[in-house]
Amino acid sequence: MDDKGNKKDANYWRGFSELNSDPEFLKAKEKEFADELPVDSGEPEMSGLSRRKFLTLLASSAALAATACSDYRDKGAIVPYNKKPEEVTVGNPSFYASTCTSCSNACGILVKTREGRPIKVDGNPDHPVNRGKICATGQAGILNLYEPSRIKEPMVKTGAGNFTASNWADIDVKIIDTLKKASASGKEIAVISHTINSPSLKKLFEDFTAKYPTSKFYSYELVNETNKINAFKKSFGKEGLPVIDWKEAKIIVSLESDFLGKEGNPVEAMRLFAERRDVMKEDVLQESMQLTIGGDSSSRKEGFNRLYSVEGNYTITGANADYRIKLRTDAIEEFVYALISAAGENKSPINDFINKYNLKKEVVNSLVEDLIKNKGKSIVLAGAFLPESTHIAVNKLNDLLGNTRLYSKDYSETPLMPLTPRKEIEALTDRMNSGTVGAVIHFDTNPVYHFSSDYKYTEALKKVETVITMSEQMNETTSESAYALGISHNFEGWGDFKTRAGIYSLQQPMIAPLYKTRQKEAVLLNWISDSPEKYTENDYMNYIRANWEKTVYTSFGAKTDFKTFWNYSLHDGVVTFTEKADNAFAFKNEEFNPAPAMKAATGMTLTLTRSNFIGDGRFANNGWLQELPNPITKVVWDNYASISPAASEKLGVKTNDLIEISAGGRTLKAAVFVQPGMADEVVSIDLGYGRTGAGVIGNNVGFNSIELMRKNPAVSDWLYQDCTINKAGGTYEIISTQEQYPIDHERYNDIHLKREIIMEGVYEEYVENPKFLKEEKGETHLFNIVPSYEFTTTKWAMSIDLNKCTGCNYCVAACNVENNIPVVGKEQVGKHRNMMWLRIDRYYGGKSDDPKVSFQPMLCQHCDNAPCENVCPVAATNHSPDGLNQMAYNRCVGTRYCSNNCPYKVRRFNYFNFRNNLADGYYEQQSLSLLHNPEVTVRSRGVMEKCTFCVQRIMDERQHATQEGRALDGDRVKTACQEACPTNAIVFGDLTKKDSEIAKHRNHELGYHVLEEINVRPNVTYIAKLRNIKPEKKS
Amino acid sequence: MRTFDYTQELPVVDGQPPAKAIDDVVSKPLDTKPGKVWKILITITSLMLLVGGGALVWTFYKGIGVWGNNQPVSWGFDIVNFVFWVGIGHAGTLISAILFLLRQRWRTGIARFAEAMTIFAVMCAGIFPAIHTGRAWLDGYLFPYPNANHIWVNFTSPLLWDVFAVSTYFTVSLVFWYIGLIPDFATLRDRTESKLKKTIYTIFSLGWRHSTRHWQHYEKTYMILAGFATPLVLSVHTIVSFDFAVSVIPGWHTTIFPPYFVAGAVFSGFAMVQNVLIFVRQAFNMKHIITIKHLERMNQIIILVGTMVGYAYAMEFFIAWYSGNQFETFTFINRAFGPYAWAYWIMVSCNVILPQLFWSKKIRTTIVPMFVIGIIVNIGMWFERFVIIVTSLSRDFLPSSWGMYTPTIYDLGILMFSFGLFFTNVLIFVKTMPSVSISEIKAVVDGAQPSHRGGGHHE
Repeated sequence: MDDKGNKKDANYWRGFSELNSDPEFLKAKEKEFADELPVDSGEPEMSGLSRRKFLTLLASSAALAATACSDYRDKGAIVPYNKKPEEVTVGNPSFYASTCTSCSNACGILVKTREGRPIKVDGNPDHPVNRGKICATGQAGILNLYEPSRIKEPMVKTGAGNFTASNWADIDVKIIDTLKKASASGKEIAVISHTINSPSLKKLFEDFTAKYPTSKFYSYELVNETNKINAFKKSFGKEGLPVIDWKEAKIIVSLESDFLGKEGNPVEAMRLFAERRDVMKEDVLQESMQLTIGGDSSSRKEGFNRLYSVEGNYTITGANADYRIKLRTDAIEEFVYALISAAGENKSPINDFINKYNLKKEVVNSLVEDLIKNKGKSIVLAGAFLPESTHIAVNKLNDLLGNTRLYSKDYSETPLMPLTPRKEIEALTDRMNSGTVGAVIHFDTNPVYHFSSDYKYTEALKKVETVITMSEQMNETTSESAYALGISHNFEGWGDFKTRAGIYSLQQPMIAPLYKTRQKEAVLLNWISDSPEKYTENDYMNYIRANWEKTVYTSFGAKTDFKTFWNYSLHDGVVTFTEKADNAFAFKNEEFNPAPAMKAATGMTLTLTRSNFIGDGRFANNGWLQELPNPITKVVWDNYASISPAASEKLGVKTNDLIEISAGGRTLKAAVFVQPGMADEVVSIDLGYGRTGAGVIGNNVGFNSIELMRKNPAVSDWLYQDCTINKAGGTYEIISTQEQYPIDHERYNDIHLKREIIMEGVYEEYVENPKFLKEEKGETHLFNIVPSYEFTTTKWAMSIDLNKCTGCNYCVAACNVENNIPVVGKEQVGKHRNMMWLRIDRYYGGKSDDPKVSFQPMLCQHCDNAPCENVCPVAATNHSPDGLNQMAYNRCVGTRYCSNNCPYKVRRFNYFNFRNNLADGYYEQQSLSLLHNPEVTVRSRGVMEKCTFCVQRIMDERQHATQEGRALDGDRVKTACQEACPTNAIVFGDLTKKDSEIAKHRNHELGYHVLEEINVRPNVTYIAKLRNIKPEKKS
Repeated sequence: MRTFDYTQELPVVDGQPPAKAIDDVVSKPLDTKPGKVWKILITITSLMLLVGGGALVWTFYKGIGVWGNNQPVSWGFDIVNFVFWVGIGHAGTLISAILFLLRQRWRTGIARFAEAMTIFAVMCAGIFPAIHTGRAWLDGYLFPYPNANHIWVNFTSPLLWDVFAVSTYFTVSLVFWYIGLIPDFATLRDRTESKLKKTIYTIFSLGWRHSTRHWQHYEKTYMILAGFATPLVLSVHTIVSFDFAVSVIPGWHTTIFPPYFVAGAVFSGFAMVQNVLIFVRQAFNMKHIITIKHLERMNQIIILVGTMVGYAYAMEFFIAWYSGNQFETFTFINRAFGPYAWAYWIMVSCNVILPQLFWSKKIRTTIVPMFVIGIIVNIGMWFERFVIIVTSLSRDFLPSSWGMYTPTIYDLGILMFSFGLFFTNVLIFVKTMPSVSISEIKAVVDGAQPSHRGGGHHE
């Protein structure tokens, strides 16, 4: 009995010892079990090891030995987040709105990131200019972020001429010192940049000049619109170029203006151009008669527009033209003058012109007629590389026809800073040579490569005390510099842009800098900072914020506080409001010469054109872009001198032969590519190739045609008359993804039409009888000997509208990025082993002197009766219940039988491990492993692959539908190509839903399937192309 | 035309050599040390095997991208060689099984050799489907074996039929050949003095004692196996032709393929057997056993099947035109006049035009011209497979995806490897096994068969 009186409460007891509260019992009661577990009992004295312990150790050491000796492939560590970042959910992508800096168009982009790494770029749907679309270069720019050869830290040149790594703190001190000295001694600090379209950067330049008063800013672009801008200023007294209201344009006349390919903002132009070629819109049928009669309706619903293209090169615009007039480039100005006379009812010059250049009379007359009939509803455009005088004449013509009405009332392009005129660059080099320039800062520019050698820029640089080059990668200019400062990629930094009057956009980082780089603006900002040692990554953002608070925020007139405004702006990526735009266009007749300044010469004319994808050469080291085929020639990895078949015959050369082009006192050796449809007197070559300091991918690809540019050209920077071409001897292999079969030969002529691969019609005919195509084709009687599978729940299908497809290749770029498609290199493409799942087929119709081009995106057709499936011995390719033709990579043995039996030849085979085959294991470098889309398997050697209809996106939607407890909605699935298509030519969806977009397209009168008669039952419907030509010309 | 006495059987063996002499002649190469010529030859063939094997190893290391195959031409030398060797492998079974059933006694002299060649040729052929895959280490997937994933092979694929057809053919040919060898092994066992050889021959002769009972069983087994092998002669190449005929590709999708392929196979097989026999009879002094008459008969068959092949060529063209199918029409015109026209015309001249020289008795009974024509036929038949596979694939439906195929040195290396393997096997065979059936020859020597004319029975 204890003092606590337990006994009293104990109504139940386990024995007398408890009843008596025996202390020993109470102690034992603490333990649940009476005895110790017999784990170690009896054995310690024997060995110190229990049987269990012994076995445990034995097993674990065996396991250790086994795993230590095995070569488990994945050596990388997978570390989970131990604190989950707020914005990241593993497995779910995050999207960031930003701005593309690949060119000066500053399109809005939406960057998809997975677990913090950007993996895909699409257009920002909220951006009023590019509306959710982005060009191929913008999409592939993501590769530059992960490019292994990026400058990873600031570098300083040593005495021996090599660069060694340094750090920003030291460099800042040294450079600030240099700048101060230069400024103090009155020596110029020259900052050379590309187009400045960032308001904050412009302000930064001003602040920089305030700190270092001797600073001067220069900007240049290898290919620019200066001629056009200057002409416009002279003609109408306005800065910048007008924005064209494409929807209003019924007749478009392009004079060497590749507005659908390389000029202006093709992303926007293509969309607006194709909007008036949409056969799915009912008004195309209803009101189109007005166009044919030439009625004067002001309605916007007027059916197809009509595009005339007058050109010497073969461009995408020419390929999309309803009428293409082949004309030597330097005769364009005379043509404009003839048109001006014709518009003033004087037809004799145009008739003379037709005779002089042997043009098709009915086509030119139709052009003149259309222009006169559609005054105020047509537009004439001239190529940016044409001289100023041509542009003035074109402005005159547009003014005469009342077409200035089509200059947009909402927007105008007002450059923040005009490009530096040639003369000033020349003056700069003079000052550099005379030693009055203290420092040159290359602000992410590469003038050593870009400047005409007339400037002798490299020699001038040697006379400058300090040359600083900011660049993402080493290039031709860094090697001439004392400092090579590695700068951040677009996705790692901040920025703001003024795209047009009233359109401001923001650039934000979506990944912390991968290396010790800083964004280039922040570097300058830091050099004017009072305490440069206190640099943070947010400095420049704060600078932009402060600037926006004063400018954009006030102009916008937001009703919220600035912080909210800023957050919304960042979220949307773009801010739009009405900024005063001047809409009165009065042509100053005094600027108009009575006679053309440029006249066709007797010799050949050389045109230097912008590259389709690698920009001015700054994307030369981007394999994705090098391997993207030229839309017309399908050439990859090189530029070349295009000449016409007749010119090549005359010269006695063929494709791959080297020729020597001499123009304006310069010569260049380049390989010939015989291009059907070129004017016989024109030779054309792309700029941006032949780089020597680009990196392993981009070095020595093609020919450096900048060598042909002069600082004071007679006509234009990009156009040289009276050039000569000579056979140089030797060859250089040009690789094209399509075989160049002789299109004039009877067996091959129009073979794509004869085989009904491409089906085309005339617009008028369609309007009269929408069923004309099906009637022409007749019915195919197909039967199956076995009952076909009924797709009841879901059936995926695609439709591609050939009226809208311009052949731009953006979808191909998107597919490459989305599906982890490897770059295989020039040699492998030459062996027909390119890996692209989607390709744009280009066919030439008619004769080689003036062919018509037809484009056709070709991808896996996901046939119901897929011929690939029944021949696979291991059933690695098979059909899903929702109509997909699937590939099980793990099961694939690689017999390639499926590819042989594919009538569309869309299957791609990994002949090597393409991850280590390019440029000595380019892909195997660490940073590039971040590039891949984690939703798509990276395929290994010996495996067949092909388009999956972006099955990962289908599965994503399926998962969402399940989560949200709703039915699968096919219209919500957007394939990568569909998302990228600037004209929305691609439609994808579930065919079992009768009211879906895809069902409408599939049942359209113009819909057809390629190779219908072999009964493979493809699931990609093509909408036949209608050419808006006058029916009597129908051949 | 010559008058012919059909009541008299033509002698199959020249002269009337006694049984012992036949034993001696046939087993002489087995009893003597290899001669200089043999050593030189095996050096060459094993070098081919070795160097070609290097190409094979490199292929395994790098991937089949070292070959010329591409998209659209996904099959190149790999499948060309496969079909070529399967074709070569056809003569053996035809000679031993079909001619046996047809009681063509002249086959005895050449049957053993032809069977051995069949086996070696099928071995060569079998290599190609195994190595042509992108991931050869997963070839096991081609066999229907129970597995945890419940994945079965795809029985609708002709490539799978190939797996069964070729492996069945190989097995049956091997068993047939071995059964035929048993009495000869026993003979060799009985006459050899080397202990080692005795042990080996003892094992392989399976206790054969030349007893009547044994002979009775043997003849029955042999007959049954011959009957078993006969449909295979037709089926194997028919199934190989299905690889193409079942597809949708113009130039492949043709119903004439099965008979056309079988005829082609017999054609090339006979040419190959004829070629090698000429060597063997010269080298081992067997001119009286493998007589000019044998060779002449082979040449007659060559001209027969060659003409059948020619007919098939013509019929393909006719049907391409008659069907009105533009794709097919294009394919055939493209074969004859397109970028691979050279290959097509090599094929036609080697397979159809040059064998016509065999109409001349002088040419078909003279060693040098018939040997040359035999080689030409095989070149032609190799090109036939090249033409069928490569030209059809290089330009099919969509002109946008046309592409030329150019073989690389690795392709040539592996082709050389297969020839090295074939001839090394042949050389080893002639030094280790009786290349002519001793027992059968004894049975067809004039007067060997007990008959009313009173021929003596052999020991």
